[in-house]
Amino acid sequence: MEAPGDEQLMLAYGRGDAGAFETLYRRHRGPLYRFVLRALKQRSAAEELFQEVWIRVIESRTRYAPQARFTTWLYTIAHNLLVDHWRKKGLAIVSLDAEDVALESANPARQAEARESLARLLQAIEALPPAQREAFLLHEEAGMTVAEIAAVTGAGEEAAKSRLRYAMAKLKAALGDE
Amino acid sequence: MSDERKISERYRELPLEEPPRHLDDAILAASRRETRSRPAPLVVPSGRRRWYFPVAAAAIIVLAVAVTVHMERDEENLEVAEAPAPATAGKRETLTPDPQPAPAPPLRDLYKAQPAQPAPEAPPPPAEQPANRARAMARADAEQAQAREETRSAAAPPARAASDRLASAAAVASPEQWLQGIADLRRQGRHEEADRQLAEFRKRYPDYRIPDAIGGTMEKR
Repeated sequence: MEAPGDEQLMLAYGRGDAGAFETLYRRHRGPLYRFVLRALKQRSAAEELFQEVWIRVIESRTRYAPQARFTTWLYTIAHNLLVDHWRKKGLAIVSLDAEDVALESANPARQAEARESLARLLQAIEALPPAQREAFLLHEEAGMTVAEIAAVTGAGEEAAKSRLRYAMAKLKAALGDE
Repeated sequence: MSDERKISERYRELPLEEPPRHLDDAILAASRRETRSRPAPLVVPSGRRRWYFPVAAAAIIVLAVAVTVHMERDEENLEVAEAPAPATAGKRETLTPDPQPAPAPPLRDLYKAQPAQPAPEAPPPPAEQPANRARAMARADAEQAQAREETRSAAAPPARAASDRLASAAAVASPEQWLQGIADLRRQGRHEEADRQLAEFRKRYPDYRIPDAIGGTMEKR
């Protein structure tokens, strides 16, 4: 028997089926957590934001209407919370695409680890501008297409496509000597 | 595209970070608490109980239709009782609607003095109606006196009982039904009772115009 889809599970939860929510949560907890963690780069802030995303899902259970894919809705909530977080950090929306977003200060220990490609990759992801990093993580963790990334972030498809392409190019450059 | 695939493959090699256990517990507890604190809105249930709502809806619809049909039939019966119609001699009539354009009298007027019911004929001019009423009343008084005398000369108890029943029935019957009963008495040769009933009828409905078809049987033979 085919497993129920995300939208069916959410509707069932809206009718009071707590087990449906648990299934939904276990299905998406890992990718969403990694998305938020690697977008924010701070574990404590990521855990707080991750919990807030699910609280909003829970509070919306009776109002939920499957107008789009559940993952689109879930990651839109996460995106909006990320934007609020970046705004509080003093980052204006326009600067989310900026090339010269400052990294957290690299300590020597991390520079040593950077020789390893995976560490380089992770560092390169963290170095991406927020908007490009988000587009890359939505593509990798949530499996979203350019159109879905555009829908989640509220950007046009061309902007989403550009962000993803630039992110890929930078990561490729970071792995370039492999 | 191959570069993107390569990057995706390397990305998959990164450690699969998972949320800590305390986060899972807190979120799942909140989800269960939400269902307990706010019951789900009334929606069609799923699973084995799905058939409850359609059956209940069908039962309500059937009941509503049955009540509506029953009420309409009652109204039709009342309308039929209200509308006077000519009765042919010797048979129970099926009342037909009043051919005149005047509206049917309301129910409360059903057992009051009726204005002249023309049926197949045109109603008398309004100026003649007071004269008709006076003549009818005078006739009724005379016949009533005659009827009282005749009943004192001992009609058969069963016939009297029958006439009493007829009188009591007439108290609730429509004028047409009452006239039909009087016609039946005539046919049975029970003229004294028929006369008495006719006198009562005219007393109650002084302006009721008895159709000729019935009137011919009304007069004492």
